[in-house]
Amino acid sequence: MSVRKFGKNDVIHNTIRANPKAQFFVYDGNIFYNNDPQQSGAFSPNILDIDSGISLYEYNIDRTRDLYVTVNPNSHVSLGKNPIIYPFLSKDSTRASIASAGPMDAAAFNGAFRYGDILTASYPQSGTITREYIPQPSQSLNIHYYSLKNTLNFYGVKSEHYLISSSYGNKNFQPLNLIHIPSLFYGTQIKPGTVNLKWYLTGSLIGELRDSKENGELIQVGPAGSTESGSVAGVVLYDEGFVLLTGSWNLSHLTIGLSSSGVATTPKWTNWGAGAESMLASNPSGGPSAKLTQGNAGSTLVSASFDMSFRGVTRTQVLTMYARAGRGEVNYSSNPTFLKYGQEPLRLTSSHIYEENPNRLIANTVSSSYGDSDYSASFKRQVYISKIAVYDINKNLVGVATLASPVKKEEAEQIAFKIKLDL
Amino acid sequence: MPVRNFEPLNPATDITNTRTFLHEVLPITGAIVSGTYNDENIKNYSHGMFQSVYDYPYLSSSANHIFDISMGYDENSPHSASSHTQNSKKINMYNEFSQLMLGFTGSANTVRQFESDLRLDGKGAMSGGVFFLSLGRLLTKDQIKKGSVQITLGTGSWADPFASTRTLYDAAAKVDGEGTNNTLGGDYGVLYTSSLDPATVGGAGLGIVFYQSGLVVLTASAFSNLDSEGDPIGLAADIVDFNSGSILSGTKPTGLTLERSLMSASISGNCDALRHRLLNVQFNNTTEINSTIYFCRAPHNKFNYSANPTYLNNSKIRVKNVASDDPVAYITTVGLYNGAHELLAVAKLSEPLRKDPQNELTVRVRLDY
Repeated sequence: MSVRKFGKNDVIHNTIRANPKAQFFVYDGNIFYNNDPQQSGAFSPNILDIDSGISLYEYNIDRTRDLYVTVNPNSHVSLGKNPIIYPFLSKDSTRASIASAGPMDAAAFNGAFRYGDILTASYPQSGTITREYIPQPSQSLNIHYYSLKNTLNFYGVKSEHYLISSSYGNKNFQPLNLIHIPSLFYGTQIKPGTVNLKWYLTGSLIGELRDSKENGELIQVGPAGSTESGSVAGVVLYDEGFVLLTGSWNLSHLTIGLSSSGVATTPKWTNWGAGAESMLASNPSGGPSAKLTQGNAGSTLVSASFDMSFRGVTRTQVLTMYARAGRGEVNYSSNPTFLKYGQEPLRLTSSHIYEENPNRLIANTVSSSYGDSDYSASFKRQVYISKIAVYDINKNLVGVATLASPVKKEEAEQIAFKIKLDL
Repeated sequence: MPVRNFEPLNPATDITNTRTFLHEVLPITGAIVSGTYNDENIKNYSHGMFQSVYDYPYLSSSANHIFDISMGYDENSPHSASSHTQNSKKINMYNEFSQLMLGFTGSANTVRQFESDLRLDGKGAMSGGVFFLSLGRLLTKDQIKKGSVQITLGTGSWADPFASTRTLYDAAAKVDGEGTNNTLGGDYGVLYTSSLDPATVGGAGLGIVFYQSGLVVLTASAFSNLDSEGDPIGLAADIVDFNSGSILSGTKPTGLTLERSLMSASISGNCDALRHRLLNVQFNNTTEINSTIYFCRAPHNKFNYSANPTYLNNSKIRVKNVASDDPVAYITTVGLYNGAHELLAVAKLSEPLRKDPQNELTVRVRLDY
């Protein structure tokens, strides 16, 4: 093994800025992410076993959700079964718990488990958008809305539509439609100018919003000639991942089931995303938004479908290293097969002396054009490089780059390997 | 921006390191290894030296690679002969794995052979034929948990392989390293036919498992009949139709016994036979989570004020009504700075903590990596 220092131009830091696209389509209580269909499997009707969005581990593919089935080796109980993978740890003095097991305060942790007890959690876990309808913000004391009030006022300098109280009304007294977007889908921020929301009624577009001014205002831009074109129906919190819709004008004169009371109502922007609710557990005061289904909203819920698309901003730090093998360098290997087979490794050994055989020969790995068994090729010094190790200044091994296939290096050649590391 | 009060951390008393082992239970049943997906989750390669098993048809982007299977034997094995199918590849596979896992021995630097014990003394070599299960890093993570491996094999006929079964356990291996040996490929333990301590109940080792490398080496004798001591009688007394199909013995078609399969079937053919007889593979993996814990101490006379713009109203502290009252602050965030006062990390509290001159707080900040 030979260790070489990187030169001043051999290590480069870059930042890759990307804008991944995300699209959500909401229909009949289902949320489809980037038009991914649900795949059925042999054990599960949905191989990812999630309702919508992204499976965070994508680990339990086509497995049955029964918690682990203990296999009896003397029977056939495991035949035809495919139980899930799940994580666990034992309680010890580090006080580690599994976050996915849910919030656990010190009292619960100390009281509910003894040292050595097994704490389990479960996969799959998923992330998706969530709609929260807040009919009376001031009365419900909705904690999500209240925690965003300062932020909304902070962005008031960008647009007056952000302000809680302005000439456009007071959000404390307006029905609000709050869309939660996890950062999983956008990275650092939602890219301004890329947000687009569509409202479809029986498949026809009845409303479209865009943040065309890139200041967070969601302006109605469609369908062409609609009466409210140019009106602002809500705002986007780009860094925080929220869309707050306040537009309460009618997008159509038809009425359909869009609330859990089952009373038919006309489509509005405050109804956008009906069916994308989840039971938001951390909303004790305001009460969670009920999940809209045909059961509670009425069968006409299927007339509504919703689309949202945007681009995110991700910044990936990339470390590029050029590892150079110059002429006359890196031309020896300590692999035992590098030397000819069958040579005596030691010349002398006793209780006082240990001397290696200095006359051992290197195996000739040069390929002959005529077949090695008939006419072997002339010897040339060459090695096959299969791995590059990266060491820190104290010669601690910090990384290993393995080549897809070994690269032959002859003595007169010089090779530079480009190693990239996404941080 | 709220006020920044710096309180130096004493490395001797305020910082400590811990390590937590997070495990996962991984059941791999025979249902996904063979039969369910019409082998669309099995990838064979043109080189024919191993096959890959996925948990779903591998053309799907959702499929995860779970393990590779191969087989081989030593060049000095009685099964080795140049006329046998893929003879050199079977030898190469054996040497490749044994070289990587066990390395070389003796003055002639010969490749070690796998042994069904921990001694590596040349006795009990598994050289006549072995199957390799190379478990994916996705499943094994940092390492397989010692003492958690359980493999159930079907030893019945080809038509009904699970009419009789045999389960192998790494019964002697303990998490603290007892019952394992350390080699080039990391720690390894022996697979026994009983889940009880082999020191007490006896029983032969029918395979070994390398915990960090995620490699299981099963001797072909794992399918053989065992004598009263629990030792394999030999491949000659094995299952009549270990593999599917038959070969000609003279002019008469004869079933592929395990011995004939090792010699006459290809590597992938033997892998198919093993998958057909794999009822269950289960183990727990381990992920090591290293943590540094910072005890951030707020003494009684500090952190009682805030520069948050909302802290004052008309130059008066909002959270006190009488001028003579103690100042009060609510701590929401702890910032960790380096020696140059550069912010390195931020810890958020789930709820603000009240701080006044009457109390002292120690906020325990854990950084996992």
